[in-house]
Amino acid sequence: MSWSRKPPIPSLQNERAFLKQDAVFNNAKLAARKGGDKEKRWYKEVGLGFKTPKEAKEGTYVDKKCPFTGDVSIRGRILTGVVRSTKMKRTIIIRRDYLHYIAKYNRYEKRHRNLAAHLSPCFVGVEVGDVVTVGQCRPLSKTVRFNVLRVSKAQTKTSKRFQKF
Amino acid sequence: MGISRDSRHKRSHTGAQRPQYRKKRKFELGRQPAQTKLGQKSIHPIKTRGGNFKFRALRLDTGNFSWGSESVTRKTRIVDVVYNASNNELVRTQTLVKGAIIQIDAAPFRQWYERHYGLPLGKKGKKAQDASAAASEELSKKKSNHLQRKIDGRKKDAKIEQALDDQFGSGRLYARIASRPGQSGRCDGYILEGKELEFYVRKIRTKK
Repeated sequence: MSWSRKPPIPSLQNERAFLKQDAVFNNAKLAARKGGDKEKRWYKEVGLGFKTPKEAKEGTYVDKKCPFTGDVSIRGRILTGVVRSTKMKRTIIIRRDYLHYIAKYNRYEKRHRNLAAHLSPCFVGVEVGDVVTVGQCRPLSKTVRFNVLRVSKAQTKTSKRFQKF
Repeated sequence: MGISRDSRHKRSHTGAQRPQYRKKRKFELGRQPAQTKLGQKSIHPIKTRGGNFKFRALRLDTGNFSWGSESVTRKTRIVDVVYNASNNELVRTQTLVKGAIIQIDAAPFRQWYERHYGLPLGKKGKKAQDASAAASEELSKKKSNHLQRKIDGRKKDAKIEQALDDQFGSGRLYARIASRPGQSGRCDGYILEGKELEFYVRKIRTKK
């Protein structure tokens, strides 16, 4: 049995402005007296049966666009899709496949749409091919109007394969 | 004016150029930024959509600032713009914007503290004893028995953090602007404390 030293907690203050949750006031006076180490954290339930991830409640990240710990509300559409790319900072591209009916031929054709969704830091290890549920929120950027609410690991290997939902 | 806030002039998500099919609309308008500076108060009211008004502060010198841990808010003079996370230019030109770190006059807060706790502020170590002899008028004022008992009851909560205490010594506190002077015409905010204060003091020091 070996006891390993805990790695130093990486500083989350990497920006030029101090990152903090607006809803939380860390009273410097009380902190000095009680000597508490635990940071206060604010989080909320997004509703519609979605569970707030443990990482959102216990983590230390600050993300104002996170549906659980930030200032966005989920309302409108709830959609699902496959993760296509995770190269952006805190946002992902989702691919949604669907069938379009051509009446003349009585048949369907495959179509797809890409969707940009904000990915909160509480979802760790999201990879290309994972199935993801996103909820509509207010515009967060030029193309982002959705926020990731739930991630489930991919079963199949390919992501570009057609998967209907 | 010319400033519009539409997205029709921007390329779409796929990169396609969007054709212009209509002129600019009034509801998409944008206005010139206020660039509020330090100086004698000068505020212009602007009539906005719906008959409402916005108050564009062009020059401000005071604001309402709150001391969070003590739950006190006082109107104070703004002395200096010290740091801006977005743009150093705004510091150089002493522009008041939301989120800017400024220095405010500590006098009203010191007066409140001395009245509330009956203790001096901002005097270091040994000097504290000598200084309180030549104390401010608040401290040396004659207090009734009842008042003295109240003050003694508060004494154990009187300790404030060292970083803040030092600032009182120099007569200036670091604060952060929380209102939008170009929208509301006011420059209000809160005094920096704890981790936030530590963070910004470090940033200011490394810049110098």
